[in-house]
Amino acid sequence: MKNRARAIFPVMCSLVMAAVVYAQLKKGYYAPAELGILRQAAPIDLSPDSNYQVSAYPVPAVDLAHGEGLQDVQIYCNTCHSPRYIIMQPPLPASTWEAEVNKMNKTFGAAIPDDNTQKIILYLQAHYTPDTRKQ
Amino acid sequence: MNATERCLSRRGLLKLLGMASSGIAASRWLAPDATMAQQPSPEKIMEPFSGPSANPHWNSLGPYISEPQKAPLILLTDRPVQLETPRHYFRTAFTPNEAFYVRWHLDGIPNAVDLKEWKLQIEGNVNKPLALTLPDLMQKFKPVSLAAVNQCSGNSRSRLLPRVPGGQWGNGAMGNAMWTGVRLRELLDMAGVKSGSLQVQFQGLETGQGPAGLGSNLFLKSLDLKNPVLDECLVAYLMNGEPLPMLNGFPVRLVVPGYFATYWTKCLSWIRVLTAPDENFWMKTGYRMPDTPRGNTTPDDVKAGKVKTIPLERFPVRSFFITPDGSSKIPSGMNVTLRGIAFSGFGAVNRVEISDDGGKNWTAAKLGENHGAYSFRTWEAPWTAESPGHHSLAVRATDEKGNTQPDEPVWNPGGYLWNRIERQEIVVGNAS
Repeated sequence: MKNRARAIFPVMCSLVMAAVVYAQLKKGYYAPAELGILRQAAPIDLSPDSNYQVSAYPVPAVDLAHGEGLQDVQIYCNTCHSPRYIIMQPPLPASTWEAEVNKMNKTFGAAIPDDNTQKIILYLQAHYTPDTRKQ
Repeated sequence: MNATERCLSRRGLLKLLGMASSGIAASRWLAPDATMAQQPSPEKIMEPFSGPSANPHWNSLGPYISEPQKAPLILLTDRPVQLETPRHYFRTAFTPNEAFYVRWHLDGIPNAVDLKEWKLQIEGNVNKPLALTLPDLMQKFKPVSLAAVNQCSGNSRSRLLPRVPGGQWGNGAMGNAMWTGVRLRELLDMAGVKSGSLQVQFQGLETGQGPAGLGSNLFLKSLDLKNPVLDECLVAYLMNGEPLPMLNGFPVRLVVPGYFATYWTKCLSWIRVLTAPDENFWMKTGYRMPDTPRGNTTPDDVKAGKVKTIPLERFPVRSFFITPDGSSKIPSGMNVTLRGIAFSGFGAVNRVEISDDGGKNWTAAKLGENHGAYSFRTWEAPWTAESPGHHSLAVRATDEKGNTQPDEPVWNPGGYLWNRIERQEIVVGNAS
């Protein structure tokens, strides 16, 4: 037991000293981080014909709030545009969300059934107003 | 080796290490660099959204994304694609093609154009309808080059209060390029516009999932045939001396100098002469501004139905700080150079001024090379931070028509026409 204590002492001393040195220098600090998903695209094969082509436009997954109506959003909103349009907005008042969804039906002809339209409006109001938005 | 020996040898090693680190510590305490740097704070990632207050950042808040033919740009939306140009790309008068912002309305964006099939059609109320190939455009007409700013109508929308729905752009929904192509007027003349014509309509390859006849199906824009801007329009096949990126409108796009980008039809494929006013959604309902000074109104007036609207056309005068961008401290007493850009849709910018006292006194900045009335004009001004603390700099531009940026915000339900004086907060530190 005594031997072990004598063994630990220099370890503690050196750790304390190392910490003191580190704190005193105040440089070379690193912190764990997540590597993003931003990747370099590889060059695409080009042939000298008349067709000018680029690769598919990427659509990353959207982290939408969980709750009643999410499935309706994923089905109906996603027909014309990705649901990223929702999370890009600032928190909007409940009446604005209602007007936006109604615009999709009336102005843009989305033809979402009434029941689903109502669910989508309630979902957006439940998660994306100044009072309710969390993420 | 028995247990005791192992313990001793380990202890010996640790002692040695301990002594060594004490030695290093002692020597570093004496070294002059020991207290030079500050304790770092952990990296912070941009918050995912702003509001209900205004977006306080220069750019919008999205993550970076890598899209075809593009450098990493700030993602607003992925389908259809809307990308914002990061601030640092505005250090130069011309915005690189790979960094040029992107804004589409409908999700049917071409991934490929076969030039064997593609034609630019000039049709409608004309004597001789035309179907021109890219070689026709490049060879049968005199190429014309023009530097012009392309700015989204909703640029800086995230500044408006109360916030309005729509693309939550920071300031990076703009870019300047040298456009080379054919004069629109030459194409119209070759086709022969018949009498009784009122407008000319532009349609690109963009299509949407919505029913025919609605704005969700086609994106269409029109200009009056008597509008003098038609004489300045180009059908451009070169952007900064290169083919246009697909996302910016390959193979040709319309250039309408001084006008918001809504008129700059990408992948332009139909030019249609109309005998009646264009009443499609994108003319009659979308992209309209209140018929008031600066397009300013209030939510109450909109609710009360008091707001008469007119089509959005030219963009107002603006100027920006690009560097320093406030992300680092400046030591007091250091003479730094402030740099930025200015432009106006109403004619050349001929004055840029800086204020560091909240707008009481203004000092003229030096203007960079003149690339033409519709181009970005770079500017620079020396500035010495006299005292440590938080400093607020302001920049304002004036164009040749005498329009000067105001210091009042603007509000309209579309989120258009923001051109308030820009400010840059700078933290000046003690230099010793």
